[in-house]
Amino acid sequence: MASGIASVASFNALFSVPAIAQETIKRGKKCILLWLCGAPSQFETWDPKPGTITGGPFGAIPTSIPGVQISQLMPKCATIMHKLSVIRSMSTEPSEHFQGIDVLTRGDQPRPPFTRPILGSVVAEQLGQLDSPVPQFILLDPCPEGNEFKSFKAGNWAGWLGAQYGPVRSGGEYAIPDIVRPESLSQLDHEDREALRKFLSRKFENDQRSQAAAGYNAAFDRVKGLMSCAPLFDLDKLPQEDRRRYGPGAFAQYALQARHLIENGSTFVMVANGMPWDNHVFQHEMHQMLVPELDNILFQLISDLEERGMLQDTLVIAMGEFGRTPWLNEARGRDHYSKAWSMAMAGAGIRPGVVVGQTDPMGFEVTDNPIDNRRLFATIFRALGIDPKEQYDLPDLPTFHRVEGNVQPIEELLVG
Amino acid sequence: MQRTITRIHDFKLPTAILGACLLDDHRELIAACMDGVYRVEIESKKYDRIGQHESYASSAVFVPGQQVAITAGYDGKLKWFSVKDNALQREQKVHSFWSWDMAVSKDHRWLASVTGQYLAGDYKYAPAQELEPCVKILDAADGRLIHALSHVPSVQSVVFSHNSQYVAAGNLMGQVRVWDVQSGAQVGGFESKDFTSWGIIKSHCYLGGIFAMEFTPDDAHLIVCGMGDMRDPMAGNGKQLWQRWDWKEGKLISQTNEKQSGEGLMEAIALHPSMESFLMGGRLRGGEWNAALFDLASGERIGTIKSGYRITQMLFNHQGQLIVVGGQGQPGKSNDGKFPDFGRVEIYEINS
Repeated sequence: MASGIASVASFNALFSVPAIAQETIKRGKKCILLWLCGAPSQFETWDPKPGTITGGPFGAIPTSIPGVQISQLMPKCATIMHKLSVIRSMSTEPSEHFQGIDVLTRGDQPRPPFTRPILGSVVAEQLGQLDSPVPQFILLDPCPEGNEFKSFKAGNWAGWLGAQYGPVRSGGEYAIPDIVRPESLSQLDHEDREALRKFLSRKFENDQRSQAAAGYNAAFDRVKGLMSCAPLFDLDKLPQEDRRRYGPGAFAQYALQARHLIENGSTFVMVANGMPWDNHVFQHEMHQMLVPELDNILFQLISDLEERGMLQDTLVIAMGEFGRTPWLNEARGRDHYSKAWSMAMAGAGIRPGVVVGQTDPMGFEVTDNPIDNRRLFATIFRALGIDPKEQYDLPDLPTFHRVEGNVQPIEELLVG
Repeated sequence: MQRTITRIHDFKLPTAILGACLLDDHRELIAACMDGVYRVEIESKKYDRIGQHESYASSAVFVPGQQVAITAGYDGKLKWFSVKDNALQREQKVHSFWSWDMAVSKDHRWLASVTGQYLAGDYKYAPAQELEPCVKILDAADGRLIHALSHVPSVQSVVFSHNSQYVAAGNLMGQVRVWDVQSGAQVGGFESKDFTSWGIIKSHCYLGGIFAMEFTPDDAHLIVCGMGDMRDPMAGNGKQLWQRWDWKEGKLISQTNEKQSGEGLMEAIALHPSMESFLMGGRLRGGEWNAALFDLASGERIGTIKSGYRITQMLFNHQGQLIVVGGQGQPGKSNDGKFPDFGRVEIYEINS
């Protein structure tokens, strides 16, 4: 396979037939979710309160939007604030991780026995290309543990959409095994074997009307796709200069890989790194490292997408499952806080340079334009061109909507 | 022999105290707090805020010859306050990042302040190299820079030897370097991997390190403290840990008796005036005490305190009474919109 030794800087180099490559990279809306699992502090990111007793030890700096300040830990984002949009008035209900992750990745509380699909599954189903060899929903997470996030990862991602819309996981200990053709097997032999297997199993599937055989064939198709794009999952094949720019940490490296996967035909890439933001102890000692890394990742990602002409079609979201308390606990930590927190977006369909909502001077309460998970998801779906009000009538279940409650998107955040 | 440690006096300051020093007569202290620098009359419980840093004040020392109190802060500055009139005499930017800790030599000639921001240095989040020298040695009288010394960020604790010849600095990774103050030459050091956690659960990054140090009376050894390893670094449940090291040989001499310690970050060490025991204090996460007196020779625990709040510094006055400072967890806002006071000062008597 020629792609195995090619540079992945060019998608065309991955495939032996460029026409296939062009067909695969269809132009359409895409999304990168930087999942800040554990929940970052709004005070040390997008909603600083300098000089107050809740503000913590870090200061605030001006940004490219006059009158808007962010944490001093984010000097690079400060220079591109006019390209970002920030919601400072997120106010949601769950204040424990598992429930918070559920709500902020699926858009709503559970309604058993209905399992609402995660954002990536919806986007893959609505905007993805099922015939693409590149997985349409990819989760990059090098940290296999993660407490509640680990439990969540073991759960049902795609819900009623079906497992084919679940993520392909990669990163760290989730390295995808056995997707490189052994050298002892020639490309011709490999294709001949696959053709024979496909003929026999399709015949069986059709003759017997076998669901099991259909699933078996779907799995083979997926593996075949993964084999054809294996280099996309190899960090070592990313351009060294890009790797240097994004920074050395695992989260930064996989954020770069996310950009690369989106460039090369994936539709939704979610990047996480366990749940490092859950700083019940050593809040400032950890955020002094985590926030500058995020600052640089966002700066590089937005700049790269813009430079490649992809930002208008690619939505970048950076958020966790809630925020952190205005007060410090005895262990130098901030605890969970869902009443008033912040998140950021940029790109596809999102109006740049907008700051939505505000909190009181010490960050306890939202004082203007509270935004809950439903309005956030309605906005994200609308930005991506997906109808947030679509209705689903599933057998033996009540009627569901993609976003419940007939809520309105945040119009000031939407382009057009 | 077990000692009884009895609280005889206590009061609160508006915000948590991160560092403190006693003034000449030991009736007053200077407290470095989250919201500024306070001068406190211990007996009367009266206090005045005499100054502020642009962030938390983190340390305070007293220089009797000049009658100044010097504070350091997370703004990277040192400030000299006259104790005659509380006036700010001088301020000096020493670091571009925080001053995590500051110490004065026992002869009051030198100041040492330590800094360093923990930034990702590799795939597994080992700390990146320092962006500025992490250890600064200054002339206490005029702030003149004597040495700028290299270390691995973040450097969280610093102490001078009793003979004022050496200065030691400990960091996030449990690495301690010891320099000769006059020459600036590194003359010793060691690395303990027992104080630093790398998150197997939740996060692949480093937390912890060495938070306080004290030389033994003969300056031959260093006692260092912090918190033992945690599988989940966000749990804060590492062992309350001290270790005694021969810093010239890089050899571990002794450490906390496991049966005598609970869980929690230890961030204060003080030698008893008798020079026969030492105190270690910090936060109680699980167990029975958050400050304890240890026999210097045997390392056995001989007395305990359960203060109910995080201890950040311990001092002894002329009467041999123990002064403990720190802070409770910051309370939520009360109905009147104000925060209840959460800085704590307590005085204890230690009886045999």
